[in-house]
Amino acid sequence: MKNKRRKNQWSAWWFLGPALLGIILFSVFPILRALVMSFQSGSLISMHWTGLSNYKYVIQDPYFAKALQNTALYAFTVVPIGMVISIAIAWNLFNRIKHSKFFEALFFMPYVTSTIAIGIVFRYIFNGQYGLLNYILRFFHLGTPNWLDNPSMNMITVIIFGVWLSLAFNIVILMSALRGIDPQHYTIAKMYGASDSEMFFRITLPQLIPTLAFLLTVNLISAFKVYTSIYALFNGQPGIAGSAMTAVYYIFNKFQTVGTPGVAMAATVLLFLIILVVSFLQNKLLNKVGRR
Amino acid sequence: MIEVSNLNKTYENGYEALKNVNFSVEKGELVCLLGPSGCGKSTLLNIISGLLDATSGDVKFEGKSVLDVAPENRDIGFVFQNYALFPHMTAEENVMFPLTVGKNKKSKAEAREIAQKYMELTHITDIAKKKPGQLSGGQQQRVAIARALVQQPKVLLMDEPLSNLDARLRLQIREEIRALVKEVGITTIFVTHDQEEALSIGDRIILLNNGVVQQADKGQNLYLDPANQFVANFIGNPVIDLFDVQFDGNQFNNEHFNLLAERLADNKLKQKLPAGDYVIGIRPENLQPSTAEMADFTIKVDDIELIGRERILKFYFGDMQYRSLVDIEDQIGAGNEINLRFDMKKAFIFNKDGERVY
Repeated sequence: MKNKRRKNQWSAWWFLGPALLGIILFSVFPILRALVMSFQSGSLISMHWTGLSNYKYVIQDPYFAKALQNTALYAFTVVPIGMVISIAIAWNLFNRIKHSKFFEALFFMPYVTSTIAIGIVFRYIFNGQYGLLNYILRFFHLGTPNWLDNPSMNMITVIIFGVWLSLAFNIVILMSALRGIDPQHYTIAKMYGASDSEMFFRITLPQLIPTLAFLLTVNLISAFKVYTSIYALFNGQPGIAGSAMTAVYYIFNKFQTVGTPGVAMAATVLLFLIILVVSFLQNKLLNKVGRR
Repeated sequence: MIEVSNLNKTYENGYEALKNVNFSVEKGELVCLLGPSGCGKSTLLNIISGLLDATSGDVKFEGKSVLDVAPENRDIGFVFQNYALFPHMTAEENVMFPLTVGKNKKSKAEAREIAQKYMELTHITDIAKKKPGQLSGGQQQRVAIARALVQQPKVLLMDEPLSNLDARLRLQIREEIRALVKEVGITTIFVTHDQEEALSIGDRIILLNNGVVQQADKGQNLYLDPANQFVANFIGNPVIDLFDVQFDGNQFNNEHFNLLAERLADNKLKQKLPAGDYVIGIRPENLQPSTAEMADFTIKVDDIELIGRERILKFYFGDMQYRSLVDIEDQIGAGNEINLRFDMKKAFIFNKDGERVY
């Protein structure tokens, strides 16, 4: 019996092998390599050990602090706001719209379109003088902020764009979760006189918790890695005068533009640890809510 | 209490699910809607509950039409076939749910107290803190019934509530349901396709087929005095024996036997029979072994089935199987030739439209 099990295990390695090779080559090795590089300095072809000095530099760098601050601001606004809007749209699509499949497809389009391309379109929408957004705001006499060229507006612009970008994926996943809820639950609840909001908060939302936990984790991680949307919105710059600098942008900047890969990797390791801790805490919290 | 009159339901695709259905249910009565799949019994239940609109006709509760009343205001409790318990709530929270939503919302303490009472009634207090996923089918069933009762509705509707349970549990739960419903005194309509269930649980049975009420009566009467060939054939286990015969004005003939019309009980005959084609129906217990002189026909026993304290002797005329029910102590075996005699006083005769004429 024992022998047989061991034999099974050996053949299992053959099946795992190709995938494992890929993971080691493209995931495990780069992580280790980044870790090693974070203790080294010099250019990519001649690295030498410098101990903790990269970390010291990064921690003391006010730009990194700013980048982290921006990243946290982005993550902790885009994720909850995006989630609430996604739930609202998904619930309404599911409940009230006749051809929900069509709208679902429509909402999913941004997800299959390149962020850079969308970013360019949004540059026009956000444009201070002739942008669509300000045209609408002007129509309702709501003031016309300079979304792209005013440094103090840059993070808000990025956040609005981020919320919009997060909808596509969330809505599609939420729609499938909503379809998974037994329709008889609503029939029953209605028969007992439950109102629409009671049905949503007592029946729908609790049954969405596992899906929400998944989406929040995925959203939060991708929010901490925000980069492309900023690149696209500000024409390859981290906002005006670096006002929309985020952690990944900082890393890219240190690696590519400044040419200090060691510093970039130290920042990478720190970001990795932050994401790890935040998603761990979030999972704990959601488990508690889900079990209640 | 409940009156259904001239009720029709035609679905959008033209399918007529209910055709001129009429019946009434007394206060506190437990009535079974019985019929084969697709006979319209669930449609009927959904119209009574308000989940479905009728095409024409009326449904009255206590003399007042409820067709324009929304389901939540009809004062009904509903138990679904798959229970539809909320998976994220404990048994207790499920039972409390109807008391914590809508216009008649109670305080939490009050809701808990009422829920407690019904959970005691349905014997589920010890599983109050468990979620549906951790409960057996029977326990889930009880939670669903407790939940349907907490609002103290006037009417309880149950849609095949036992079909997801295993055979032994089904027997137990159906007794429990009957005892509970009678204790609470609630008017109940119970939908089932299982005649045995309907016979055992219902005060009265409404037998439906193809959207038409075939007969509405006590179970015993459905068996002993069926309104038509469908009822006679549907009710009873083992099923009734049906023989095609030609009547020549004097006797019923077929290639296997001839029966003199004078053997019929005159008072059972609804009209004088014209000659023609008929079907004689006889319950297997009324087709008994007899002496050779008294025999109507002789058959060879093909197979024997034991059911409890009786044995079913099966035999064939052509490829049609027929049955005779004998006592367990009877020693007849498969392959034996035996003589059988009709007890014509207890037989039924149907015309070729399935209507009963005797």
